[in-house]
Amino acid sequence: LLCLSAQCHAVGLNDLLDRASQLSDKLHSLSTSLTHDLDTHFPPMGKILMPRPSMCHTAPLQTPNDKDQALKVPESELLSLVRALLVSWNDPLLLLSSEAPTLSYPYNGYIYSKTRELQENSHNLSAGLDRLVHKIGTSSKSLSPLPFRGGDLGSDRNSRLINFYFLLSCFRRDSHKIDSFLKLLRCRAVKQRPEMC
Amino acid sequence: IFADVLESARFSPPGKPKLTGCRSPEKETFTCWWEPGPDGGLPTSYSLYYRKDNSDTVYECPDYHTAGKNSCFFNKYETSIWVNYNITVMATNALGSSVSDPVDVDVVYIVQPHTPENVTAVVYTDDDDDPFLLARWEPPRKVDTHSGWITLVYELRVKLEKGDTWEEHFAGQQKQFNIFSPRSGEVYMVQVRCKPDHGFWSEWSPISYVKVPDYIHRERSMWIL
Repeated sequence: LLCLSAQCHAVGLNDLLDRASQLSDKLHSLSTSLTHDLDTHFPPMGKILMPRPSMCHTAPLQTPNDKDQALKVPESELLSLVRALLVSWNDPLLLLSSEAPTLSYPYNGYIYSKTRELQENSHNLSAGLDRLVHKIGTSSKSLSPLPFRGGDLGSDRNSRLINFYFLLSCFRRDSHKIDSFLKLLRCRAVKQRPEMC
Repeated sequence: IFADVLESARFSPPGKPKLTGCRSPEKETFTCWWEPGPDGGLPTSYSLYYRKDNSDTVYECPDYHTAGKNSCFFNKYETSIWVNYNITVMATNALGSSVSDPVDVDVVYIVQPHTPENVTAVVYTDDDDDPFLLARWEPPRKVDTHSGWITLVYELRVKLEKGDTWEEHFAGQQKQFNIFSPRSGEVYMVQVRCKPDHGFWSEWSPISYVKVPDYIHRERSMWIL
């Protein structure tokens, strides 16, 4: 009976991680397609004026930056990292979707619906991560989400567009991290089923 | 002086080289390539410089040889991901130098795997059923799919050797695919390619050929009976 329940637990974890990585995959793909949409009408000067990626509000959060480093991070710590990253985006994603309709951009209705989709996906993933934390456990290293201080996008139309694009490019990178770490976790959990990875 | 004037008419500093692209086959190493500009009629050398977004230090390319002519290879110790590399190429000859337009690269956005390996296609025959084609393949050797560092999906295409249109099939994460009801006595061509979870499709693998033996279609054989 004990063995049986242990097995049930294992199946639950695999499925949860599978669903979480499907959501994170979607989240990153959405942010990529949104970036490409904006690219086509972005003022050429904008790229030069855009802040460097090291200015992203999540930049101070230390994350592994190659495979060897990532593979060394314990599971619970990887999960806390994913969670801290995602929660750090609650406020900025809200800002993106509330500002999208007012952008001076040809297809802002379309941009708006995609930012809403980003928000919903991120919300669903967040709920999934809470359940995962229950199963995997919390890490001894507590990681807090990073505060977002940019309360608005600015006043003139160009700087609003640039700040919007900049925030999105930061999110694109972070969603890629989230997706990569979740997929590592997924493969660690299915060690007994090598055909999955 | 006259000779100098002649010289200066014939020779010039090099033209601007152009960075043509960067690719990573496995999210662990990467290579950048460039096209030289006009050399100004003099022996010209090329150097690639890069600066990572989180630092002010400028480094020179660590390896000009591994990936061939006009390229720079970054091995796994020189490759970080989620970091922008600001890259330029400088051409230099005796009369001066010129620098390419810079390119910003984050390795995670330039992943393109090599082609799938050991692609085989065989005919499966069973006494009761019609034969079918079974294609199998393996991920490119360098890609680490076991740890989950990259997730690959595959696409397969088949064509009658005599035909002119390819038929494409998406195989998902599977490393095999069945093709039912192949035409009796015909030769089929099979190719497979792969795509990482976020990145570009690989090239198609070399063509594998498979000959379907002559057989009578089961439904038709019933009809004859």
